[in-house]
Amino acid sequence: MTADTRHLIPGTSERSERELLTVNMGPQHPSTHGVLRLELRLDGEVVVHCRPVIGYLHTGIEKTFEAKTYVQGVVLTDRMDYLNPLGNNLAYALSIEKLIGCEIPERATVLRVLLAELTRIASHLMFVGSIALDLGASSPFLYVWREREKILDFFERISGVRMMTSFIRPGGLVRDIEPAIVSDISRFIDEMPAYIDSYEELLTANPIFRERTEGIGGLSADDALALAVTGPTLRASSVDFDVRKSNPYCGYETYDFAIPTGTVGDCYDRYLVRVAEMRESVKICRQALDRLTEGSVRTEDRKVMPPPREELAKSMEAVIHHFKLWTEGIKPPPGEAYVGVESPRGELGFFVVSDGTGRPIRVHERAPSFANLQALPKLTEGGMVADVVACIASLDPILGEVDR
Amino acid sequence: MTANVETLRSAFASAEIGLPADGIPTIRVPLVELTSAVQRVTRDLGFNRFVDLTAIDRLTSEERFELVYLFYSMQRHTWLRLKTRTDSEAPSITEQIPGANWYEREVWDLFGVRFEGHPELRRIMLPDDWQGHPLRRSEPLGFEPVDFTVTRDVYGGVGSQVSGLGEHA
Repeated sequence: MTADTRHLIPGTSERSERELLTVNMGPQHPSTHGVLRLELRLDGEVVVHCRPVIGYLHTGIEKTFEAKTYVQGVVLTDRMDYLNPLGNNLAYALSIEKLIGCEIPERATVLRVLLAELTRIASHLMFVGSIALDLGASSPFLYVWREREKILDFFERISGVRMMTSFIRPGGLVRDIEPAIVSDISRFIDEMPAYIDSYEELLTANPIFRERTEGIGGLSADDALALAVTGPTLRASSVDFDVRKSNPYCGYETYDFAIPTGTVGDCYDRYLVRVAEMRESVKICRQALDRLTEGSVRTEDRKVMPPPREELAKSMEAVIHHFKLWTEGIKPPPGEAYVGVESPRGELGFFVVSDGTGRPIRVHERAPSFANLQALPKLTEGGMVADVVACIASLDPILGEVDR
Repeated sequence: MTANVETLRSAFASAEIGLPADGIPTIRVPLVELTSAVQRVTRDLGFNRFVDLTAIDRLTSEERFELVYLFYSMQRHTWLRLKTRTDSEAPSITEQIPGANWYEREVWDLFGVRFEGHPELRRIMLPDDWQGHPLRRSEPLGFEPVDFTVTRDVYGGVGSQVSGLGEHA
């Protein structure tokens, strides 16, 4: 960390002598990706001061966790980052599994990687579509939506729900995935690189798109680290940090993939990093599909996952386990656990504190969007007001996760 | 990981160092040493990335809130947790680590722990005129009853006021 970080603290920069105009951007503004409000102080068209105001989507999710059992809590995680529901399920499940210390079958781990990467592709598709739409190009949105629909259709076939799947739970998965769905996913993964080429044809070399993003909203590596920024935003500022590589979970160390990084950390770099990440995710999905073996997708630990139906008719012990799980829930030993994972937006982790009962005393989400959004004043101040839109879109914040 | 804990033991001779279930070394320091501990962790020990700050309401009569700081070393690729206990106040670390700005505001908003020296300690999630700090475990969960004919005897009809779960649970 550099010694002088005062310029990163809002309100300490020098004030302009000229009369400033205060403009409220949002909370109901199509380019603010949810309900984000920005208090802008403008000198003509130049942004002198930008103050993000959040909390419009605050629903007290962390408080609600304390009144739910551990498995009921999974449902809340979907609703935090609604573009990365399976990734949030995974982060929450990993923290609880770490607390209990239970083993997950190989097939469940591979399927978790596959689902997490499919979710990452779906989330980055949304990013590509929305940054193009915010900058005035409406057609890429239609194309990326087409592929995103296919991924959501897979989720619907797997879990019955398109977005709020709650499919990854402590102890494994809810149920197995049918071979027909796996082969359809495989076909989709084969087609995906050509689709990514077609989005790049529309945007990457597009002179208008480049003019609106190149050199806009620059963020240096030192500033990004000081502001606790993670994910593609940090990697675009040339820091090759990815939790999947540096602290692997779910066996990511055995997959072959690269960490795309940017050079200058402007909006264009953040776009390029995410598009390159989609290609890497496709590679990971392919490897996961190739190593998929037969087997159970639920842990054998009966204190975490209920016994299969057929056992209930034969075993008294199974009936007791079933009854205890559905009346009292999982009871992790007293303690706390945090497992960091790489969400499409950065380092995501659930800090879960147990007192040994069936309900947590504290669940805190380390939300990547929350930290990344702190960098917005740094990105926008000194730039033009029209570029604020590009800066917000390039951070790809999800306000459901920021406000919780 | 054990070598890491040994390094920490020599750096924090007097502090209590634990290794919880997730394997992240955890240092407990008294509140007065927090600022110097953060400085040592981020500068001398190389845990240069601030990750997270939150609080746990332990519901004890003294030093009720446990502040939990999480740091990460970009060189050694490990996390480090720093803990301290407080009644209602703590020194702010935003001057040293700008990334802690919103995290301290969040803990102030939801737990009511005041961070001394924070540049603008205002509510962040809740409206400015909100009363109370909802993540304290002494605060009731609170809900608005939905008007069903079968629940009218319990909660009354449309427009009746119910303040919290405590009165009806």
